[in-house]
Amino acid sequence: MKNQYLPLRFVIEKKVDETPDAKTFILRPHDKDVSKLRYKPGQFLILSLPGYGEAPFTFASCPDKDGKLQISVRKVGALTNALHELKEKDVIGVRGPYGNTFPLDRIKHKDLLFIAGGCGIAPLRSLIQHVFKNRKDYDEVEIIYGCRMPRDRFYKQEIKTWQNNPGTKVYLTVDEPDASWNGACGVVCALFPKIKLNPRTTMVFLCGPGVMIKFAIQDILKLGFKENSIYASLERYMKCGIGKCGHCYAKGKYVCLDGPNFSYAEMRELGIDS
Amino acid sequence: MEKLFITQENLKIFVKNLKNDCDEFIAPRKENVDDIIFGDTKDNGRELSTYDGNSVTSPRSFLLPQTEPLFEIKSAKDCVLLPVEDRKKRIFYGVRPCDIKALTLMRKFFVDELADLPYKEKFENSTFIALSCDKRCSKECFCYEMDSGPYAKEGFDLQLTKIQQGYYVNIGSKKGSQIIRRQKKLFANAAPEFAKEIKNILKDFTKGIEKIDYKKLAGIIKQEKVKESVWDDIGVRCVVCSGCITLCPTCSCFSIADRLNGDKGMRMRYCDGCPYAGFTRMAGGSTPFPRHRDHIRRFFEHKLSVDVERYGTPSCVGCGRCIQTCPGNINIRKFINSVLEAQVL
Repeated sequence: MKNQYLPLRFVIEKKVDETPDAKTFILRPHDKDVSKLRYKPGQFLILSLPGYGEAPFTFASCPDKDGKLQISVRKVGALTNALHELKEKDVIGVRGPYGNTFPLDRIKHKDLLFIAGGCGIAPLRSLIQHVFKNRKDYDEVEIIYGCRMPRDRFYKQEIKTWQNNPGTKVYLTVDEPDASWNGACGVVCALFPKIKLNPRTTMVFLCGPGVMIKFAIQDILKLGFKENSIYASLERYMKCGIGKCGHCYAKGKYVCLDGPNFSYAEMRELGIDS
Repeated sequence: MEKLFITQENLKIFVKNLKNDCDEFIAPRKENVDDIIFGDTKDNGRELSTYDGNSVTSPRSFLLPQTEPLFEIKSAKDCVLLPVEDRKKRIFYGVRPCDIKALTLMRKFFVDELADLPYKEKFENSTFIALSCDKRCSKECFCYEMDSGPYAKEGFDLQLTKIQQGYYVNIGSKKGSQIIRRQKKLFANAAPEFAKEIKNILKDFTKGIEKIDYKKLAGIIKQEKVKESVWDDIGVRCVVCSGCITLCPTCSCFSIADRLNGDKGMRMRYCDGCPYAGFTRMAGGSTPFPRHRDHIRRFFEHKLSVDVERYGTPSCVGCGRCIQTCPGNINIRKFINSVLEAQVL
């Protein structure tokens, strides 16, 4: 029988600086069998760093045929600090995939609106890449992305390619501009008047700090978007990924099993707003 | 089902033989500080064949220990982890019906649903011999009210009931009947009057007490009809001693952490729980449950409402251990009564 807690070994192939305190890690399977970890956009993994324990991270890129995967990690605690210190070719553990996927069957041939704050762009990026890879299956795409300062924006080069993608609009904003910034300032909600998509037929995906999710949903509902077409990726403390450890439990649901992607209608049932 | 009987003398022989057939014989034993705790008595004969009250801790601590190794870290640098297996054959003897019900709920959670291998291994190598109750374990016990005592309905391999001349024996599983078959000579068929004696014990036990309408209770909690001031009071009283989650036979939450010495070490799992503020706090410092009252509320909601929906029965089995241990006098039984009474008014 499978030991659910046993990690697979992965090698750090590349480290990419994203912001002053965040890096993206490109990982490849240590052994040649790449079939062991197949995931879909929206799911997450649990990373193992012996000596520091384990922590959950979302898949930050769309699935790759070579079994490579990406995670974007901000330095916030002991494990993430140690992870940042690792070098290319170092070995770490990965188990998963865990959690539900974005509702891929519900979004084909629809308009898509993405709203992200800070490192909340990471889980949305796996879906955005998936959409651009299969561009003809989707209609208009709008992406609203806010962060604290211009230097805190993830995927700076890749976002430029999104901006050039036909049928796609990208709106960026920062809370604290610097001399280099001539774009919008303020919270993501301040950019909502720019949304051109039809609220009745658009699927909305949000990820970011709790307060951003809470207020962005309130404002997006006022524009006529529907409760069951708004999805948020939630962040919770978790240890097992399989609904056993209890940390992410809320009213009979487990964010690790039943989530991390919930429609706003489901969130209301659980009595949570972020 | 076959109804059997065993004398006190034969039970001693039965226990002696059982001990030869296991690695650990987990039974209630009197501690040097004058209380009763489950412990291994295979080699020391300290087990009590019958006893008053209940063990301070439940058998949970042998299947989901306070800390246990999950993996041996052979090399931290190369991320080489070897699973730690526990294939010990354990016999649990003298387990109270409330704890048997708890074990059944834990089996549903850890074994029948998506399985947790470390628990499943230990559980499947275990035999459970229940000892039914002829009187209340303590003034805090409310097993009959919670539908978990004084007899176990399922979840045991054998169940013993003390009667005047010896013990009445129920067989609860295939494993149970195999055990009996191997020592058939020690058992006799139960006389019909024994059933009558048991009926009288039950009558005495349940005199003047009513079962709790736990479905109604679950509904009230789910609909958030419990007054906010009740949760406020509970939050203020809790001093986060963690006694309740340590002793509760159905608490299952845990964390995982590594202990390293150089490049080698262990990946451990340890019991954790909702009263701690850090239980839901993320690495960045934010938490979806910033208020302490909501931590304890999770505990109550899970046991009294969510699990009723999930398993058809509450996962509070009325053992009363959390009430006995709480320094803030948080009393789940009084909570239940006051919630139900407030509804009646």
